[in-house]
Amino acid sequence: MAWTAGIRPVGTTNIVAYGSSMRGKDVRLDKVSIRFGDSTAVQPTDLAIHAGEFFSILGPSGCGKTTILRTISGFIEPTDGRVLIGGEDMVGKGPNERPTALIFQNLALFPLMSVAENVAFGLEARGIGKAQRLKRAQELLELVALDQYGDKKPADLSGGQRQRVAIARALAVEPSVLLLDEPLSALDLKLRQHMRTELRSIQKRVGITFIYITHDQGEALAMSDRVAVMSRGRLEQVADADTLYAEPATPFVATFVGEQNVLRGRITTLADDVASVETPIGLVTGRAKGALKVGDEALVMVRPERISLGASNANTVPARLVSRNLEGPSVNLLCAAAGQNFTVTVPNGPAVRDLPEELNLSFGLADALVYPMGALAHG
Amino acid sequence: MGSLARAYGRPLALTLTAILVLWILALILVPLGAMVQQSLWWKDSAGDLSLTIDRLYNDIATLQLDAGNATDAAKKAALDAEIATKQGEATALEAQELNPGKQWGLDNFTRMSSLHLYIFVRTILYALMVTALALIVCYPVAYVVALASGPRKAIILTVALIVPYAINELLRVYAWLMILDYRGVINGVLGWFGVVDLDNRGWIPFLENPSAVFLAMIYTYVLFMVFPIVNTLETLDRNQIEAARDLGASTARIHRRVIIPHAKPGIAVGCIMTFMLSAGSYSVPAIMTRGQGGDWFSQLVYRQFFESNNWNMGSAYAVSLLVVCTAFILLMMRFFGVGLRDIAK
Repeated sequence: MAWTAGIRPVGTTNIVAYGSSMRGKDVRLDKVSIRFGDSTAVQPTDLAIHAGEFFSILGPSGCGKTTILRTISGFIEPTDGRVLIGGEDMVGKGPNERPTALIFQNLALFPLMSVAENVAFGLEARGIGKAQRLKRAQELLELVALDQYGDKKPADLSGGQRQRVAIARALAVEPSVLLLDEPLSALDLKLRQHMRTELRSIQKRVGITFIYITHDQGEALAMSDRVAVMSRGRLEQVADADTLYAEPATPFVATFVGEQNVLRGRITTLADDVASVETPIGLVTGRAKGALKVGDEALVMVRPERISLGASNANTVPARLVSRNLEGPSVNLLCAAAGQNFTVTVPNGPAVRDLPEELNLSFGLADALVYPMGALAHG
Repeated sequence: MGSLARAYGRPLALTLTAILVLWILALILVPLGAMVQQSLWWKDSAGDLSLTIDRLYNDIATLQLDAGNATDAAKKAALDAEIATKQGEATALEAQELNPGKQWGLDNFTRMSSLHLYIFVRTILYALMVTALALIVCYPVAYVVALASGPRKAIILTVALIVPYAINELLRVYAWLMILDYRGVINGVLGWFGVVDLDNRGWIPFLENPSAVFLAMIYTYVLFMVFPIVNTLETLDRNQIEAARDLGASTARIHRRVIIPHAKPGIAVGCIMTFMLSAGSYSVPAIMTRGQGGDWFSQLVYRQFFESNNWNMGSAYAVSLLVVCTAFILLMMRFFGVGLRDIAK
């Protein structure tokens, strides 16, 4: 099989033996808060990350996710609260004393050392003899399919190869927790997608805990067992990808993960978890999320793909078709109704080829989520 | 030239080239050429000549006395003829003495006395020691400055490095002189505590020890060592330090394997500058030792020029120093594995 652009499949057998020597540990944040001077980077946070889990922390830049990662790795001491790894309190332990390894956003490979020396550096720091550590480095380079590149300098490698050197270097110290700080952000799209699967498969095989920081929801949803969404130093929601997408807990999560049509209105009736909201396009009923009262201002969220054409559902809106954008397998319809814009995603096909200018949009009660007013992800 | 002309047009390219040529001529070729030329010739020593002339005049005086006492006219004529011959000889020699012959060769270089050679070697060793000590002192300073950020960095730089260096070099050397002198600050404080007895000249003679010169030199040239190292350390990605720490490396290992290799070009430049400056420094040893400690080679060069008035010998000494220093630069570059390109960065 011919591989181009430096992309090669990760070997399937050679890792198993190596991975068996590593064991993941759980990470717990116990009321951790972090302040820098007067500004609070992380609000008091409780978080339990399971051993052997691929856990992502997703959030826009400046939300505090990197601060949390650096706190777990030991570069930052929390202002309050404790970090526990494998049940052990990490207070006062420096980055070199923790069972973690960090992969930096810019990888921070040592440019003056060869690839093999880079990978062996952690073992060198542990006083392991040259022959032995270079042998281990070679094994790890095989794991990331770079066994031919040990003598090269990092600068001679492609972006994806450097990425894998960084992974091998971090794994060489047999960490229980691997921390990844947006390591794919410097790669181009195609390589990034390839590296997602590669990271996931490496994690599966070595079996240690991965904590992955990203602002890219695609990465988080594609790779993770669970995802924590952060905003302004606060955890908005911790859940698996499906839950995050289908049942976002807050307006921020709803709008940060995936697309939403957002309606603003006022609650008129509230029964069990069904809320009716008076909006510019009329009365909309949906499922109530969070603490709501009659008379409150509220946000109604409807995913573009949950809206269908025709008048078959609980909520129906007559709308005018503004434009039709072909995405390939699906089509995005931009519609306007009473000054409100709607995006509707429908499967591509003959049915959506020649649409009338006036059409009905409808969505079910379960498709509309009603939130109290709150911050949205995009202003 | 061709590409320059394409980029800037002919007149501007010519101007630029002319400026470059002028620069090289005025700053490198002409002064250096003059010095080398001066060092390659000498004038015949007039010593033997003067002696011969003196003897001739002695002879003439004796002959004149004899001629004055002579009664025999024939004998007197013979004596007068001899006087005239000797007088002619003396005059010719005098002309030769006034305008000694120029000799070309390497004699100026080979004629260095063993004492001067010893001072030369010692100066090189001292300069090497100053360089090594300055590196040891300056590396931590440079590290702190380079890794400090924001207002902290500005404060460290200004207070610790820029303010002292805004003061004239001579004043700073004299300040050290005052600190280390027999009745200087340190001896004064020690006398205060009764450690030394100043009244009976029981002071510690700091200035008679070469280390006083070292101290003043290191102080004088700190900036030349600190700034190149700061410059290279500033380009170090701090994540590399953190990555090394995260991988379990001790502070010493991080310095040895990550930071120092990165700072190598800066260290090389700093060492070269400090070595050149200290090997060629005149004012610091002259002021600090006041003749109490051993001479440095630069002082010998000065004496050849301005006391012995032997510019040819002085030039040869200066050229020797230059050659050794240049060799040192090349050695340092080889040792640190850096090329001119790295240093220019």
